[in-house]
Amino acid sequence: MRVLLIEDEPRLVELLEAALSRAGFAVDAVGTCSEGQAAISLSPYDAVILDLSLPDGDGLSVLKATRASGNRVPILILTARDAVEDRVLGLDSGADDYLVKPFATAELVARIKALLRRPGGALGIVLQAGNVTLDTIGRDVKVGSVSIAPARREVAILEHLMRRAGRVVPKAVLEEKLYGMDEELDSNAIPVHIHHLRRKLLEAGATAEIHTVRGIGYLLCESER
Amino acid sequence: MKRLWGHSLEFQLAVRLAALYIAATLIIVAALVYQAYSTAGSLSDMDLRRRAVDLARLVKIGEGAKPQLELPAKLARAYQSPEQTFLFVVRDAKGHVIASATPEIRDAVSAWPAADDEPSYFRLEQFGPTEQNYHGLSMRADSQAGALSVTVARATDETELVHTVLREFVTDVAWTIPLIVLATLVIGVLAIRGGLEPIRKISSQAASINPANLSVRLPEDNLPSEIHPLVEAMNRVLDRLEKGFAAQRQFTANAAHELRTPLAVIAAALDGMEGNGQLAKLRLDVARMGRLVEQLLRVARLDAIALDVSAVVNLSAIVTEVVGYMAPIAVAQGVSLAAQGVDQPSYVKGNRFAMEDALRNLVENALMHTRPGTEVIVAGSSEGAVSVADRGPGVPPEDRDHLFERFWRARDARGSGAGLGLAIVREIMKAHKGSVSVEDNPGGGTVFTLHFPKTETAPLSA
Repeated sequence: MRVLLIEDEPRLVELLEAALSRAGFAVDAVGTCSEGQAAISLSPYDAVILDLSLPDGDGLSVLKATRASGNRVPILILTARDAVEDRVLGLDSGADDYLVKPFATAELVARIKALLRRPGGALGIVLQAGNVTLDTIGRDVKVGSVSIAPARREVAILEHLMRRAGRVVPKAVLEEKLYGMDEELDSNAIPVHIHHLRRKLLEAGATAEIHTVRGIGYLLCESER
Repeated sequence: MKRLWGHSLEFQLAVRLAALYIAATLIIVAALVYQAYSTAGSLSDMDLRRRAVDLARLVKIGEGAKPQLELPAKLARAYQSPEQTFLFVVRDAKGHVIASATPEIRDAVSAWPAADDEPSYFRLEQFGPTEQNYHGLSMRADSQAGALSVTVARATDETELVHTVLREFVTDVAWTIPLIVLATLVIGVLAIRGGLEPIRKISSQAASINPANLSVRLPEDNLPSEIHPLVEAMNRVLDRLEKGFAAQRQFTANAAHELRTPLAVIAAALDGMEGNGQLAKLRLDVARMGRLVEQLLRVARLDAIALDVSAVVNLSAIVTEVVGYMAPIAVAQGVSLAAQGVDQPSYVKGNRFAMEDALRNLVENALMHTRPGTEVIVAGSSEGAVSVADRGPGVPPEDRDHLFERFWRARDARGSGAGLGLAIVREIMKAHKGSVSVEDNPGGGTVFTLHFPKTETAPLSA
């Protein structure tokens, strides 16, 4: 997977390049708006990390230009101040996520991965968490090399949880995604599915677990090893 | 009394004023009385002199060419009354007695030398059969019979004039004097109070200055010139104080901010290393430093910026947000997190980000202390309160007051906090005019509760 990093602070570039390549990304780094714009238009990237304060202009212009040209590549912006206005402006202009500097590089990697797990993203077709893989096209789930066969609805739930791995998915969201508005919904429906799913994963020796956050929803995490 | 004297300017001034008035009144009254007596005295003297002159004029050369006193009936009555109020002796130039009122006065005066140019005054004590006191004068007066030495005396007990005057004075006027004194005293005290009013106003304004309210300045307009320099100096001191505080906050914020980047660098560098147990410990240490720096920054920001707590915020949404955010961290620590009481919205006035901060701090604290495998419950209530309950070792009662002090940690503190988290929570709650409390969790552990002042009505739209 290829990531474009548009950042002018050399130390930060060094850190991010190292962290991203450790996570399995190939990184291209440029330091100005114009270089960034050129790079985006020249080759397809799976994600772009854009610093808003660049030496030759406002990074926002790169963002707007990219979106204006119809390019839907996932873009994560870096802002130096945690002023709410900057954040809102960036997201309104077409950014997919933001991080306030300085941030933990692990956080950045996690967010890039999350962006890529969206449907159509580089990590979005075959989802992976621990030794669990889910083919979103073929709709099958493997633990290691063993295929397990959860019910259709359970696969849907698992897909949702895996796309947002490491983050809590509210129960209401799962209900909404799985059941149409007309269907009668038993409030116990989701918990039952989760229960079955857990059992199957456990039996197959999965290294990813579904945790219940009582009162909110569910969370899929890679197990500590 | 002593305390009042020492500490109240008003009291001192009022007492001094009163003393002045009373003293002045007494002096005036004494002067008046003295003057009355004195005037009476001189009136009496004038009267005696007139009598002497009149008597001299009434001496005529009689039979045998001897001078004789011919008293008209009226005068005779006056001079010969049984009370013996008036006495006289008329002598010629050689000292022979021409006439006298009583034998006693004649005997007494005949021994005296003749009067000369200046009238001479005398007193008689317990004189005569009536045994009264007399005062009188002897003077030379002209008459048909030549220069005469006339002595006239009057009983002093009969100073009716003065007594009448004084009695009139006392009954008519004197009783008004205390009233006037009282009135002027009251006016005086009121004037003093009024004069000192600016000081009292300034004092109460000065009392409102505290570290949370340092931008207050005492008004310098319309001040008495005596206090103006003082107030001006006070305001300059406040200027310096405010600048000092601001500089200190700025320093803390800058220092913390500067520390973030190197720490991020170190953390990232450690991430890139393969390692053993020591490496893991190093990573924890750096993480701990990072947390401390974040909290220092937060504290510095809280000190510097007056928090805008005017927005209407849904507490249930805050709970959901924070629990959702912290759940992965809890899982990583082998603990679970649960939310309760978030089905209904609960509205309070506040600042969303600060409220999230406060709740996050409490949850971090709970996660650090609760036993592995237990559940930390974050519960919202409809009363504008949010509680975080853990299954940790609990907080001993004697530590509960200290808990919220900056950098305070329990004796057997566990976890990697620096002791700022709870202090931040308390500051945030203070800015929201709310409070944070700590109680035992029934069944073991601790419950921290954030109390927000409830809004009167829910907003029209969520």
